[in-house]
Parts: sequence; structure tokens; C-alpha cells
Amino acid sequence: MQRRDLLRAFGATAALALLPNEAVAAWARVASGLRPADGLTDAQLALVGAIADTIIPRTDTPGATDVGVPAFVNVIVSENYSDTDRTAFLAGLDAIEAQAKNAGASFVDLAPSARASTVESIESATDRRAEPARTYWRLKGLIIHGYFTSETVAKQVLKVDIMPGKFDGAAPMPQRTSPPGAGHFHG
Amino acid sequence: MAEITNYDAIVVGSGISGGWAAKELTERGLKTIVLEAGGAVDPGKDFVEHVQPWEMHFRGLGDRAQLSRDHPIQRDCYACDEVGHKFFVNDAENPYTTPDDAPFKWFRGRQVGGRSITWGRQVYRWSDLDFEANAKDGHGTDWPIRYKDIAPWYTHVERFIGVTGAHEGLSQLPDGDFLPPMPMTCVEEDARPKILKAFGGQRVMTIGRAAILTKPHNGRMPCHYCGPCERGCVTHSYFNSLGSTLPAARKTGKLTLRPNSVVAEVLYDPKRSRARGVRVIDAQTMQDVEFTARLVFLCASTIESVRLLLNSKTARFPDGLANSSGTLGRYVMDHHYGSGAAGTVQGFTDKRTTGRRPNGIYIARFRNVKEEHPDFLRGYGMQGGSGRSGWGRGSNMPGFGAAFKQSLIEDLGPWTLSASGWGETLPHEDNRITLDPDVKDKWGIPAARLDVRWRDNERAMDKDMMTAMAEMLDAAGCTNVRQHGSNNPPGHCIHEMGGARMSRKASDGVVNQWNQAWDVKNLFLTDGSCMASCACQNPSITYMAITARAAAHAVAAMKRGEV
Repeated sequence: MQRRDLLRAFGATAALALLPNEAVAAWARVASGLRPADGLTDAQLALVGAIADTIIPRTDTPGATDVGVPAFVNVIVSENYSDTDRTAFLAGLDAIEAQAKNAGASFVDLAPSARASTVESIESATDRRAEPARTYWRLKGLIIHGYFTSETVAKQVLKVDIMPGKFDGAAPMPQRTSPPGAGHFHG
Repeated sequence: MAEITNYDAIVVGSGISGGWAAKELTERGLKTIVLEAGGAVDPGKDFVEHVQPWEMHFRGLGDRAQLSRDHPIQRDCYACDEVGHKFFVNDAENPYTTPDDAPFKWFRGRQVGGRSITWGRQVYRWSDLDFEANAKDGHGTDWPIRYKDIAPWYTHVERFIGVTGAHEGLSQLPDGDFLPPMPMTCVEEDARPKILKAFGGQRVMTIGRAAILTKPHNGRMPCHYCGPCERGCVTHSYFNSLGSTLPAARKTGKLTLRPNSVVAEVLYDPKRSRARGVRVIDAQTMQDVEFTARLVFLCASTIESVRLLLNSKTARFPDGLANSSGTLGRYVMDHHYGSGAAGTVQGFTDKRTTGRRPNGIYIARFRNVKEEHPDFLRGYGMQGGSGRSGWGRGSNMPGFGAAFKQSLIEDLGPWTLSASGWGETLPHEDNRITLDPDVKDKWGIPAARLDVRWRDNERAMDKDMMTAMAEMLDAAGCTNVRQHGSNNPPGHCIHEMGGARMSRKASDGVVNQWNQAWDVKNLFLTDGSCMASCACQNPSITYMAITARAAAHAVAAMKRGEV
């Protein structure tokens, strides 16, 4: 995992010359800080990855772990959260894991259907301030942010146009890539 | 070679107002030095509008530790983010104080270009409804100028900076010299006539008027709709002094721009009753340097210019230079803003926006224009817009798995239409800037102490912003209309004004109708400090017009030997 992420960072160095200073600095930090010393453990990263891929699985487009969502969650929790928030978050991960064990095994070892029913039961809690729902919803927000702000998803899936050149306030919706299908969509 | 320290004119500050003073003074032949407290900015290297989330370590969520260490106050401004914080001051080096029960947010940018780099770019002319307001209801002192005095200067400014907007023919919001308007969204287009009809034509929703180019203008390229103007613009498509007025001044060969020059004091010559120049602390060497000139223009921003005069005490002016009236530091205002409503729009789900419009919609003031409102004086404009939330809605949305993911990618969620009020604040003598007796900034200059409070008129107006916007959303056919109240403290709108107000008589204010200090004929204040009332319009274009007008007068008066 570490090696793969470092290789990805090295692969980006060719583009560095084109980026403004601030971005270069950011890249340098990404390259050096993907695994901060006091970051999430391998087990915690695996749990985050399994939840992330349950929420955003690989389909005809990349899944959450395909675009490095666990590494992003690690950066936010390790480097951006206050000590209080980090402690609460890690305890919350334990609470999610405990809920999974009620379903029979560690979350990462559950079959997809059991992962789904675990997530579904957490989401069905009406009080989102109580654990494990509290940490789950924080994590879900990070997963979605990390996924859609990744370079791969922004460019290949959302097809973000950095320099659109014009504004259209009544543009047609793009063609759907596939019909709304089966799955665990409750929204 | 020794540094040249004698000029025809000194301009303190290089932001919106200082840039205009520099341009107008140099174009009239004056050898001018612009003193900027902050450092140089190189657009090619320092502007960060095209840095994408995946190029940021925290993906745009900000470096909490860095922001809370260096920018605990500034970070409350939306533009002080993971990459834009460089355009905001370090709060530890630049302290100010307030009473415990009167918080004030002072958002500041010390760099060449000042806050013109990060400003909101909305520009609206005042009308006589605004210039006559103090005289009519008795709050504040009467402006010595009217719309006819400033209208040609608005035109002068608009032609240079480039302003996009739509003509509406409203007496309370005069049209300007506009470049083509930006488009409304389909939802805004639909709402405008419905709101017009529901309120007898009194509530006009127009596209925002902004200092952003919609076609090539004066050698600058039109907007490419990348989005975050507040981080800079390498094509100079929105107006800032760095890309427009300062280069124009430089072209004359008369400009000297000196960054890292913290002006500590205006030097006064009591024998001639004139400003002799200024004392600068070089921000890098910490050495004092004196500059002298025949004219001194203070364009350091409302609070900084007032603070500078309060710090320039002499035997003749023991309470601050040019303060024989005792009004220096009083009648400080900001817009109270942010209360309004949002609604969900039915339909239009086959439409979306493409490109990121750095502009919104504006609802021109409709209160106390034709009829008196029973609850408050003066009025407010509303600013807002419409859009679909896209993937961002996923954080709170139940669901997971392939279909959930697909819906975040392909369904954008419903349209939301919303707007909030920007309200006029009554000038009040106890809303004050003074000097803190104990606290000093990094350069040893006494810090400002700010005591500015919202009062009953502002609070009553805030309530009306919510109900009036909710009524408009109902009229537009929205559902799930949600009102929102604002808790923004004074200063948060970054429209701080007053403190050295313009007046008809020397006993009532600090500057005359030409922005000339009543007490010191060669001293001019042309930033927000001169404002005798604050209207409800975003103020920058009025500072620009007033600055250009004052500069023209100052040079003519100087040539006649009057200053």
C-alpha cells in the first residue's frame, strides 16, 4: 500500500513543473506524509477501506480504495483532527467494528451482503450523534469528499472542466452511462 | 545610491483605493510613491485559483493546525482557506482588541494589491436615496455630495475596470456602463418574472453586477469561469489593483511602489499647518524611513487610515491628526448581512449549470424606496443564486453501494434558490475605533481597539430579510422554504466604513466634499473611512469613484497653489 502510493506520487513528479508553488509544496507533503508516524494502523486502514468500498464500490468506474480514499482519510484524521476529535474517531471505528462482530466477524472479513447489512443497520439509527452512527457519518463524509476530489474521479468520472471558458445556466444533463439499477440505494 | 524620499505625492496603501489614487495622480503628472505594508505579489507564482483539490494535501478542507496558529481570526473568512490564506494577515503579528461583549471580525490583507485580490467583486452605484438618507432621517451628518457629483466618476471607473451587469432602469440602483451580463440560470430566469408579478414590480431580481470581464477589455482577457476569483486570476479577468491600476500608474514612469513599508505616523508641520510626509517602518529591516511630499493620500483601509491618524498626535492635535471635530474614529459601520431564505425548486431536473459563474443574482433594495417600512429605516439588497448540490449531498444522504454511487455521479439533486440580505447600518457615534492603550503590533504600533455594535434598526431589518425572502421564494413556486438568521458580528462583511467621515462643516467631520482633511489641506482620505453613511450596496466602486474624484481635485488645487 505504502509503496503503491509512493509510486503514484513519483509518477506525478513529471507534472510538478507545471504546478504553482503551493501545489508543489502540497505534493511534497503528500509524497512524504502519506503515512504519518502516528497515523491509522494497517488494521484501521483496512477497516476504512472496506467501509469505503461498501459505500462506493468499483463498478464500471473506480471504487473508493482504487483512488486512495483510505490514505486521504488517514491524512485528515492524523494531521487535521484535533486530539479530541481523533480519539473520538478511533473509538468510533472500534464501535463500528463491534457492530460488525455482532454480525459474526470482523468487518473486513464479512461477506459483501453482511457488510451491507451492517452498514444498513448503522444508517438506520435515527440518532446520528450516538456511536457508532456518529463516527460512521463523519467517515462517510470523508469517503465521499476523498473520492470525488481525487484526480482520477474528477477527471475521468465527473469530467471536471478546469477552464470551462463559459457559463451555461441551462445546460442539458449529460447522457446517463447506465440506467438506475439495483443496489442498496435508499436516497 | 541613496533612496529617493521626496515625492509630489505619497499614497498609503496599494489596494482598491490606493491603486486608483496612484493611477490618477501619476497620470496627472505627479511623481508618486505608493507605500504598501505587505510584501510583493507575483501573479504568475502566487495566484492559486487553478490549484485543484487533489493538488492540496487536505483536499481543500484546510490545514487546521496552521490556520488556527496563524489565522485564528482570518480563517472565519471564506476566502482564507487551504491555499488562499496567504492573502490574509498573520493574526499574531497584527493584533486588535474589542470589548468582550462586542466581537468584531477584522479581515485584512497586507500585500501589494491589498484586499483587491480577495474582494467579492460586486459593484453597485449609489443613488440619491443613499446620499440624502442622513439628511432625511437625521442619523449621521448630511453628505456634502449628491449622485450628480459622483456619477461621472462612476462611469470613469466602470470604463476602466470593466463591469458586467444588466440595465434595469431603477432609480435606487442606477445603471452603469456595463459589459454584457452573465447569464442567469434557468431557475433564476423562471423566478424573476414571478417575483416581479407577485410584488407589483417592486422587487427586481437582476444578475449580479461584478467587476469581471465578459469580453476583452483594456488589454485584459474575459473570464474563463474557473470559479475561485478570491485566490487570484492569472488572466486578470476580474479587477484588482495589481493587474490594472498599478500597471497603469507604472506606465506613466512616475510611480514608485515600495512594499514592506509599514506607515507608522503622518508627519505634521505645525508652522505651515500641513502634512510634511510620513514615517515608515521598513517591515524587513525594522528601520525608520521618512518620506516627504506635497500631497498625502491615505488609502490604507477604513480602520488602518483612522488608526494611523490616531497614532499621529501632535501638540496641535493631541487626539489624533485632523481631529479638531472630535469625530475621528466615530460613526463606524459595516453591512449586517446573511439573513435570508432558501427554497427547493420543482422541476428543471433535465438542466444543470456548466462553468463556475463567479457571480450571483441581486435583488435591488425595495424597502423604504417608495413606502415607509414600519419597523426600520433604510434598506437592504439581497444577494444569492441557484444551483444543484451534486455529489456534496451524499454526506448526509442515506444509502450506499453501486446505485448510491451512480446517483451521486449522475443525479445532481434538486435545484435550490436562495438569497440573503446586505443591510444598511445607521451611523452611530459610539461605534468607534480607538487605540488600545497596551497592545502593539509586531512593529510596535499601537493596535486598534474596535467597539462596533449592531443596534435595534439593524436587528429589525435582519428579521425582515428572512420573511421577505421567504415570501419571494413562495412566489417563485419553491417548496421547503427555510429561513436563516445570521449571527455575523460587525466586520464580518468586510465592508467596514466611516471613522473619518465626510461633512459639510469642519465641526461635523474629518474630510470635506473633496476628501480633503478639514484641518490639514494637503491630506486626503479616500478609502472607506470617509463614508458618512454606508447605504446597502457593496462599497468598493464608491471608494474608487471618490478616490479618482479626489485625486483630480487635489492635483488641480495643487496646480492652483491652494494646497
